[in-house]
Amino acid sequence: MHKARQSVTRADRDETRPIQGRRSTPLTRNRRIYAALLVPALALAVAACGVTPQTTLEPTTEAARTARDLLMFVFWAMVVTFVLVEGALLYCLIRFRRRSGDGIPAQTHGNTPLEIGWTIAPAILVVVIVVLTVPAIFSNARAASPDALQVRAIGHQWWFEFQYPDIGVVTANELHLPVGRDVEIQLESNDVLHSFWVPSLRGKLDMVPGRDNKFTIKPEVTGTFPGQCAEFCGTAHALMKFYVVVETQAEFTAWAETQRAERVPPASDLARQGEETLTLGGCVACHTIRGTDSAGILGPDLTHIGGRQHIAAGLLENTPENMRAWLSDPQGVKPGNTMVIPELTTEQLDALVAYMQGLK
Amino acid sequence: MATVTATAPDTRTFAGTAWSWITTVDHKRIAVLYLVTSLAFFMLGGLEALLMRLQLATPEADVVSAERFTELFTMHGTTMVFLALMPLSAAFFNLLVPLMIGARDVAFPRLNALSYWIYLFGGIFMNISFVAGGAPNAGWFGYAPLTDTAFEATHAIDFWAFGLQILGVSSILASINFIVTIINMRAPGMTLNRMPMFVWMSMITAFLIIFAFPAITIGLVLLIFDRYIETSFFIPEGGGDPVLWQHLFWVFGHPEVYILILPAMGIVSEILPTYSRKPLFGYAVVAYSGAAIALVGFGVWTHHMFTVGLGPIADTAFAISTMAIAVPTGVKIFNWIATLYGGSISFKSPMLFAVGMVSMFIIGGLSGVMLGSPPIDAQVQDTYFVVAHLHYVLFGGTVFGLFGGIYHWFPKFTGRFMHDGWGKVHWLLMLIGFNLTFLPQHMLGIDGMPRRVHTYAADMGFDLWNMMSTVGSLMIGFSFLIFIINALRSIRHGEPSGSDPWDGGTLEWTIPSPPPVYNFAHIPIVDSRYPAWDIKRGGGHTGAVATAPEADAEADEPDIHMPNPSYWPIVMAAGMVLAACGLIFHQAFILLGAVLFAISLIGWIEEPAG
Repeated sequence: MHKARQSVTRADRDETRPIQGRRSTPLTRNRRIYAALLVPALALAVAACGVTPQTTLEPTTEAARTARDLLMFVFWAMVVTFVLVEGALLYCLIRFRRRSGDGIPAQTHGNTPLEIGWTIAPAILVVVIVVLTVPAIFSNARAASPDALQVRAIGHQWWFEFQYPDIGVVTANELHLPVGRDVEIQLESNDVLHSFWVPSLRGKLDMVPGRDNKFTIKPEVTGTFPGQCAEFCGTAHALMKFYVVVETQAEFTAWAETQRAERVPPASDLARQGEETLTLGGCVACHTIRGTDSAGILGPDLTHIGGRQHIAAGLLENTPENMRAWLSDPQGVKPGNTMVIPELTTEQLDALVAYMQGLK
Repeated sequence: MATVTATAPDTRTFAGTAWSWITTVDHKRIAVLYLVTSLAFFMLGGLEALLMRLQLATPEADVVSAERFTELFTMHGTTMVFLALMPLSAAFFNLLVPLMIGARDVAFPRLNALSYWIYLFGGIFMNISFVAGGAPNAGWFGYAPLTDTAFEATHAIDFWAFGLQILGVSSILASINFIVTIINMRAPGMTLNRMPMFVWMSMITAFLIIFAFPAITIGLVLLIFDRYIETSFFIPEGGGDPVLWQHLFWVFGHPEVYILILPAMGIVSEILPTYSRKPLFGYAVVAYSGAAIALVGFGVWTHHMFTVGLGPIADTAFAISTMAIAVPTGVKIFNWIATLYGGSISFKSPMLFAVGMVSMFIIGGLSGVMLGSPPIDAQVQDTYFVVAHLHYVLFGGTVFGLFGGIYHWFPKFTGRFMHDGWGKVHWLLMLIGFNLTFLPQHMLGIDGMPRRVHTYAADMGFDLWNMMSTVGSLMIGFSFLIFIINALRSIRHGEPSGSDPWDGGTLEWTIPSPPPVYNFAHIPIVDSRYPAWDIKRGGGHTGAVATAPEADAEADEPDIHMPNPSYWPIVMAAGMVLAACGLIFHQAFILLGAVLFAISLIGWIEEPAG
């Protein structure tokens, strides 16, 4: 199921290839200025237009599109400015290079009309940019419609907690959203600063302890979109990732139904052993698995861990092998993280992995 | 007060030479100390950068650990800003300001020495942390509450906070010194309107430091309180606000950017006219635009905080003020280009670096305009796009400008040229390496790679850009080696340059190289912006008549009163830094430091001044 979703996303990306093609153009042009210096780099640049799942240039919401369009406009305005100014500079350098027999050139000190002119020129350019920017600032800050889905996103070192207070769902590192409906996301932090950033949905907004930050988005395209913490938050900052799964309202309702339920009881002896290991391994101290003794609140809620696409805050795909690797050496997989786990025997690991994989 | 003959150090022995440097109050020797020290720290910060680039060359690499990586980017930023580029600018202030304004030294020579020693000890103090339990690791911006004891219980943050306080003292003292020097000690006839543009930019920078540093000083005091006596200025649980730290930091931090770039702009404003043999175009406008950048620079700080959630009104206001800065900056660039227009341009290595500065700084300025728009910023803030932008400003702008200055004034320091051919090789390699390093980082940011990450996954599409960037950074490192070898060799074996190798227009080119201790045998009388050109090309060249500072034919050693050397500055600096050590290692150091400080203060006051 996860693989299938993943491949749907890939297909989406393939459809957006034309955008990627367009993106390579400004880069190529920009480089031409330095063609003499950077010919090998140019070849690389063309070759480099691979898949970039976290790009800001493939927006799927109004907010992200506004930012992308503004970025492209200002970028091209800057390219034109760049060509004009560097062109003038190069022209002067070539045209007025010293030749043998040059005397002292005419000693000009200034030219008031010219100077006024080139004070006004950049002023006009920035006024245009400001005029385009201000409406975008306010549209990005728009209030949610009254029927918006409410989500609390809470940053922890180094994972994301997602709560849906209206529908009673708590999950981690995988944010499910219905397509075509306003979502108001409330940003909080449990410890230090973090930042919520899913480039295809919207620009980032910081998660600041003690501060109520929120924003509204309306997802328009189904698929899985990667996001990542964008404010330095300590050692494992680079490994604090998450995914947003945008699905149809029906899929979302079904997902929420599953999430609200208690854990799926272990289906095999091995898995039953696994559930016993929870206490032995100390998991109960930090994690919640509803329906068991596990009711800790320091780590992510694991009631439906088996149903998530990734583990360890978006770091690893959720496979038995990866789960095993994570449980046998969390520090090796994600340096600095706060998970403490005693060394488990092979049997205990087998049992725990079987159990967790079953928690769909 | 002693005459020059009496102060001549006994440099026949090593000890005598060392003592003469330790006790020197001569602005030119202090300039050399600043230059050598800042280049050493530049190399250290560069090595930290190279380690990071090696770690990021390939996805999921394991060159350095995640913990080490946080130390590396924190210390790279801190080192480059406070220990490399600011002091490198200070080297130029020290060498050039007195020479350019026709003075024999700075206003407070011992204070000048004190600034240097505090800087040196402060820099060493901060770097000791690497071997004393862990280096600072919360970023050069040190955002609360990550800097709180709850998240960093070791002394890593204390080293950073006390280190920055110490360096701040050094910067503020130096700035007061240069402001007083520039306002009071200009040669007769050198009105503000005739000051060399570098002196203008030095003065503006000094004012910026005096007004900007108090903000971070206050922030650091509050941070230290939070860490040492459990206040909670920045701790939300105790009613504090982490965003307050960000305001205090960036009220300082943004002017700091101009503190770093204005001296380089001043240098370029001297180099371009010299090698074009034309006066600076629109002198008054260039000076005023520098002042305008500095003033408006105090009103743009929250553009570093567009993603904090300050609201659309604040974002709009600061977007407008940020955009406004593009105007005076653009004006400067246009005036530089107009200076070249109609000139007779010679491409010696200093000129290549100056032109490199202008052309690279343009790119940094343009990407800055993009970042000034909050919706764009919300996407690329805290990504490699910002890393690229800031390096186009601070490396493409500041580093290119300052290196141009080194090549240009090396003959004035030493009486010898740096090798021009190798200088050009250095320039070309650095230019290519720099663009190869930082141009791809724009794409990385737009493609979604955050900054301050020690690794990235293989399927993110970041591999190629990162590899290019690493290759480029190695080229920069290599070009710096060429520079160092060239400089070291040229000190002894460079071609003799004479006193005025570039046909300079400002006063320092009218005296011998290296300049005598007293700089000017006779204080010159100035009546134009380029007095040296007037002398060489005959009066009236710039519409004014100049008086040559005649060589003193009667006496080899003119009877000029110069300040005595003094060891009190180094003792006082040691006392200060020892006291800071006391707050980290053992309280006994506080007492020791305080005693040393008190003794040196008394010694300083009692020292016979004349």
